[in-house]
Amino acid sequence: MGKIGLAFRLFFRTLTDQEFANKAQKVADGKFTLEPPRSETPEPPAEPPPPKPAAKKKPMAKEPSRSEALTLMATLQREARFIDFLQESLDAYSDAQVKAAVLEIHRDCRSVVERLFAIRPLLEIEEGEPYEIEAGYDTERIRVTGNVMGEPPYKGTLFHHGWEATKCELPQWQGNTKSANVLAAAEVEV
Amino acid sequence: MPNEPLFSIGIDLGTTNSVLAYVSLKDEEAQVQRLAIPQCVAPSTIEARTSLPSFAYLAPEAESESGEYDLPWLTQPRCIVGELARKKSADTPMRTVVAAKSWLCHHRVDRREPILPWNAPEELPKLSPVAASTQYLNHLVAAWEAAHPEAPIQDQQVVLTVPASFDASARELTREAAQQAGIPESMILLEEPQAALYAWLSDLGEKWRKRLTVDDIVLVCDIGGGTTDFTLIRVAEEDGNLELRRIAVGRHLLVGGDNMDLALSHFVAQQFQEKKVKLDPWQSVSLWHSCRFAKETLLGSEAPPSHPISVLGRGSRLIGGTVSLDLQQEDAVKMILDGFFPACSATAKPQRRRGSGFQEVGLPFEADPAITKHLASFLAIHGEEDAPIQPTHLLLNGGVFKSSSLRERLLAVLGNWSADGAEPENLTAAEDLDHAVARGAAYYGLAKEGKAIRIRGGTARAYYVGVETAGLAIPGAPRPLRAVCVVPHGMEEGTEVTVPSEEFGLIVGEPTQFRFFSSAIRKDDQPGQSLAQWGEEELEETDPLEATLTASPEWEDDYVPVRFETHLTELGQLELWCVSTISDERWKLEFSVREEDET
Repeated sequence: MGKIGLAFRLFFRTLTDQEFANKAQKVADGKFTLEPPRSETPEPPAEPPPPKPAAKKKPMAKEPSRSEALTLMATLQREARFIDFLQESLDAYSDAQVKAAVLEIHRDCRSVVERLFAIRPLLEIEEGEPYEIEAGYDTERIRVTGNVMGEPPYKGTLFHHGWEATKCELPQWQGNTKSANVLAAAEVEV
Repeated sequence: MPNEPLFSIGIDLGTTNSVLAYVSLKDEEAQVQRLAIPQCVAPSTIEARTSLPSFAYLAPEAESESGEYDLPWLTQPRCIVGELARKKSADTPMRTVVAAKSWLCHHRVDRREPILPWNAPEELPKLSPVAASTQYLNHLVAAWEAAHPEAPIQDQQVVLTVPASFDASARELTREAAQQAGIPESMILLEEPQAALYAWLSDLGEKWRKRLTVDDIVLVCDIGGGTTDFTLIRVAEEDGNLELRRIAVGRHLLVGGDNMDLALSHFVAQQFQEKKVKLDPWQSVSLWHSCRFAKETLLGSEAPPSHPISVLGRGSRLIGGTVSLDLQQEDAVKMILDGFFPACSATAKPQRRRGSGFQEVGLPFEADPAITKHLASFLAIHGEEDAPIQPTHLLLNGGVFKSSSLRERLLAVLGNWSADGAEPENLTAAEDLDHAVARGAAYYGLAKEGKAIRIRGGTARAYYVGVETAGLAIPGAPRPLRAVCVVPHGMEEGTEVTVPSEEFGLIVGEPTQFRFFSSAIRKDDQPGQSLAQWGEEELEETDPLEATLTASPEWEDDYVPVRFETHLTELGQLELWCVSTISDERWKLEFSVREEDET
């Protein structure tokens, strides 16, 4: 794996996983070596394979030579001007100006995210409705908060229905390492 | 020896988008699926999408040599098709081929000559309309074979769709492109509106027999990006079974969904101009994109009174450069509903093109964009005893019908035309307006195998060979022409006709050309029937037919007396033969699609 890819993985994992962050802190301080991977894989919650027709992966000529995170950023920029938007300060503009731009960007980002990830709620239940958690529930899919006492079943109220990606089909990038960090080429009109 | 096919593959080679759908022939339970097509979406970036934009970008050598357009199956391509090419059509139009399909049936240009991009400077690379179609099909075939190495395309049952209004020569050119792309000769051409009906049939299964009864008439209205296609299908009964029969198809209409989005974006661009905002070409495309969404909202159900349209700033100063305005719902209604679907009487006729001395050779877009008027005249022509034909059911196809107001307007207009004021029953399933044609085509492959219902129809048109009448030549005036019917309307696949007529003398050793006409209207003409005159609307001239008669040694005269014989193959391919009346010799007539002399 390229260093950039690794850096991104470490970055996101440190941000989202407290236990990992503690270890990373020690590594950074030179006090700890990371254990070899255990049987439980550090992958995100097992993603159900998309119900794809004859899911035969197309043979790719080259190994992708940059992080998929960058490919995603480039896609969002290309189709929805997402980086332009993030990089611009909002201070100078009126609400109406911001709204006008955001409507376009939001619509286009949404269509990219839908196409690549098809994000759906984890629970098809209205937020605010009562929800009962069975014993042996999947802790990766449901997080219990508040006065958690004793063992499940718990009775509670759905606060957030959660999200999951029902597929992950990023574009394949096949450029050379020289341009791996380019998110949007400079444009020159002749 | 070809292997037994594993799949039925349906290909919708569209004016702006192409789709490939397939279904297993080995698994009774199998559903039709769409192929994910890997394509270049940006330099060095490949994404698999379920449709392939029908655009071709002819890249400069340096770009393609850098490898940034490489595909999993192709390195350094000079011609890039798909999403990247679609984007290039906006910023590099001189190197991008668009709407190749619309050129395929344009008789005033040679469709095997590299003429596209139309009007591009001579030093730039060009493609012929046939070659461009081949490029799109090449890509689809390669994507198929990459995904299904176990099922080479040559061995599969392939169904390719064409507009019902394509005449025999446009169909022949489509077939030629397909064969160059390695699609097997056993390929079937299916009319798009029929494919849309097959998609509906595949959804319903045997239940369709409960939805339709004998003598029902289904109007299929298919509005693509650049063309509009009408077809009438009658439900008949044979041996106690319901049967579907295609009874009429419309003229080739070059007006479609893109025209509507474009009309709206011209209107908005004008409003921007009044605000002293000038849009560059790139912004105009993004405006077009925004207008399509605005159209769907403003013509949808529970439409808001207005919809904001913004065009983002071009440079990285995005918000600062953004311009926006509110598009009023009533304006959108006026532009689209009243412009393209005006309420009109059943006797309305579309405006004809004005006959001006100088006509551009470019695509012959419709002079009148009012689709309802074209529809009125189509239904009137195919009616009986001065009463237009009345469809009892309506099936819509094409992305424009995502707007509910358009669906409702069309139903209301048809209701107004019917004797009892009743609207036809709408059969359309709204969720599949973009892909029904490819899906239906794949399903038709099953039908061919006897596993599903078939629509019968034969040829959509009658065909005529033009013969100059003998007689005194009048200086300066062409000899009067007669049109001899060689293919009757509705001639069935797998049949042959020997045209009963007098003999024609053909000169040996040099190419003989016949003018060739078709009619979607004259349904009762029998082979051999000779027309001395006809209405301007009745017969359309298509590409001439040509044959060179080889001299046979035992025949000493300069000419051979012949009769015509026509053959419609099982695959729907029309063949015309000149058969010698004095020997066993026969010569096949081929379409000549060369540029016509301006005489």
